[in-house]
Amino acid sequence: MVIRFWGVRGSIPVPGRATNRYGGNTSCVEVRPKGEPPIIIDAGTGIRKLGKLLLEESFGDGRGKASILISHTHWDHVQGLPFFSPLYRAGNEVHVFARERDVHLEAVFSQQHDAPYFPVPLSAMHATMQFHGVSEGASFDIGRAKVTSARLNHPSVAIAYRVDADGASVVYCSDTAPFSDMILAHEFVERPPSGILPLALLEELAEMRAGVVALAKNADLLIYDTQFTPEEYKKQPHWGHSRPDDAIEIAMAAGAKRLCLYHHAPMRSDDANDAILAGTRAAAQAAGARFEVMSAYEGLEVTVGDA
Amino acid sequence: MKVRFWGVRGSIPAPGPETNRYGGNTSCVSITTATGGLVIIDMGTGLMHLGATLMASAFGKGAGRAAILLSHTHWDHIQGLGFFPPVFVPGNEITLWGPGGSDHVLEGILEGQMDPNFSPLQTLKNFSASFEIRAVQVGVPFEVQGLTVTARLHPHGGTSALAFRLEEAGRVFVYASDVGYADGVPDAESIAFYRGADVLLHDTTYKPEDQATRRNRGFSAYDEACAAARAAGVGRLVTFHYDQDYTDDDVDGIVASCRALLAGTAIEVVPAREGDELAI
Repeated sequence: MVIRFWGVRGSIPVPGRATNRYGGNTSCVEVRPKGEPPIIIDAGTGIRKLGKLLLEESFGDGRGKASILISHTHWDHVQGLPFFSPLYRAGNEVHVFARERDVHLEAVFSQQHDAPYFPVPLSAMHATMQFHGVSEGASFDIGRAKVTSARLNHPSVAIAYRVDADGASVVYCSDTAPFSDMILAHEFVERPPSGILPLALLEELAEMRAGVVALAKNADLLIYDTQFTPEEYKKQPHWGHSRPDDAIEIAMAAGAKRLCLYHHAPMRSDDANDAILAGTRAAAQAAGARFEVMSAYEGLEVTVGDA
Repeated sequence: MKVRFWGVRGSIPAPGPETNRYGGNTSCVSITTATGGLVIIDMGTGLMHLGATLMASAFGKGAGRAAILLSHTHWDHIQGLGFFPPVFVPGNEITLWGPGGSDHVLEGILEGQMDPNFSPLQTLKNFSASFEIRAVQVGVPFEVQGLTVTARLHPHGGTSALAFRLEEAGRVFVYASDVGYADGVPDAESIAFYRGADVLLHDTTYKPEDQATRRNRGFSAYDEACAAARAAGVGRLVTFHYDQDYTDDDVDGIVASCRALLAGTAIEVVPAREGDELAI
C-alpha cells in the first residue's frame, strides 16, 4: 500500500515562497492498496493535482473508480472537490464517504456548487457520484481494503479513518483537539472554557481517546493533526487542533510504527515546520518512543506492507 | 489612490514554486485613498494576508474603518473572509457592498459560507467587528471612504459580476475582473464604462488558444482585454485573474503578448503581482 500526500495544510491554502517545500494546498492524502483504485482521504485543494494525474489512468476515458473519505466538511477538507477533474468525465464512479448527519449528504455537498458560489452544479457532474453516510465507529470494505472509523474532538465533529490492506495499515487522524481540556461538538464555542470539567465530560473524553488509540493500534503509519504549537494551543484550545506532544502521546499509547505530522498551520513557514519536526523527533526520543517521526509535505510518498 | 495586489489568481489558489513570482492567492486588491481611507475589492485568499498587515494599524486596536467592494460571490472572491483578522476585533467597522440586488439576499449568500457544515464560525453574527452588508444599485454612484464608486453588471458565463469604477479628484481606477464578452468582443457600454480610466484592471484569465475551448466559462483572454483598453483609451492596463494552471512563465507570456498588441499606443501594460503597488 502506497500513501501519497497532495495537500498537508490546514484552514486555508497558502501559496508563496515560504511554503514551497512543504506545500500550500489544503488536506488531501491518496491511499493506494496494491492494484486497487485510489482511496482518497479529504478533498482540500490538493485533490486538484491528484485529479489531473488520475486522468492519465482509467479516469481519462471514463473507466475510473475512486473512493473519497471525508474527515469532516469544513472548507479546507472539501474545497477541492469542484476542481477534481475525474468528476467531469462520464463513466467514472466516485464514492464519497462522510459523517452521517441529519441532512442528506448529497445536499451538503451540493451547497458548495450552488449558483452563487460555483458555475457548475453538483447535479451536472458527468461522473456517477454516490454518497455514503458513515456513523462514528463504523467499519466497511472498499475493494480489498478494510476501513474503520472513530470520532475526533473537533467543532461539528470530525472522524478519523484507518485503512487496512496489503498486510499493513494507515490511520488518518485530523482534525482533533487533545482529549483533555474540553469537548467540541455542535455548539459554537466563542472562547476557551474556564473552571474544572464535570466528571461526565472527562469520562466522555477518555472514551473518545480510547477509541482513537484503538483505531491507531499498531498502525504502520499514523497521520496526526499537529497544527498548533503549545503556545498557540493555550490561546485557542476551542479550535479543535493538537500539538506534536499530543501526537507523540497517542502514537506511543497505540504502538504506532511511524508518526507523520500533518495539517500544518497556514502561516507556518517551511523553516518553522523544519524546527517543529526536529523538536518533535527529540521529544519522541526523550519520551522513549520507538517510532520514526516525519512531517507531511506535498509529494511525500510512504510505502507500508506490500506495494 | 494607491492600488496594492494581494491575490491575482482565478478560480482556486495555486500554491507551488511555479507561481512564486506572480502569486497563487485568489482575487484581492486594496486601494488606499489620498486621505488614508481603505477600500478592498474582492475577498479571495489574498484577503488573509492583507488582514494580517492591517492588524499592525488601527484595525488591531478596534479603530479600523474599511469598505469592501465585492464583484460576485464565487468562491475565489469570498473564501478569504473567514480568515480576515479585523472582523474579529470589536470596534472595527466594515461595510461590504456587493451584488444580489437586496441586502438580505447578499447576506444570505455570505451566510452560506459560514454554515456550520463548512465553517466553525457558524454564522457571520460571530464576527466581533461591525460588518454591514449592502447590495449595490447598479449604475447609481455611491460614496465609500471618500471615493465615488459606480458599479456595472458584466456577463460572467451563466451569471454576472460587478465591475467597479472608482474616482478620486479626477483620477479613475476601473476593476473589471471575471468578464466574458459575448463573442469575445467588448461591447460599447463596457467601453463607455472604462473610458478615460487612468488604470483599467481587466480580466486576462486566458491565452486566446485556451479561450477558444472555454468561452462559456465567462472570462476574458488577454487579446480581449487589450481590445477593451485600446477602445476605451485608458492610461494603463493591469493584467489580472490568471488561470490556476498557468505558471509564472505562462503569465510572462501573457504580459509580453499584451505589450506587443498595444505597441504603438500610449497604453502601458502593468502585470498584477502579489505585493506590488501602483500609484494613480
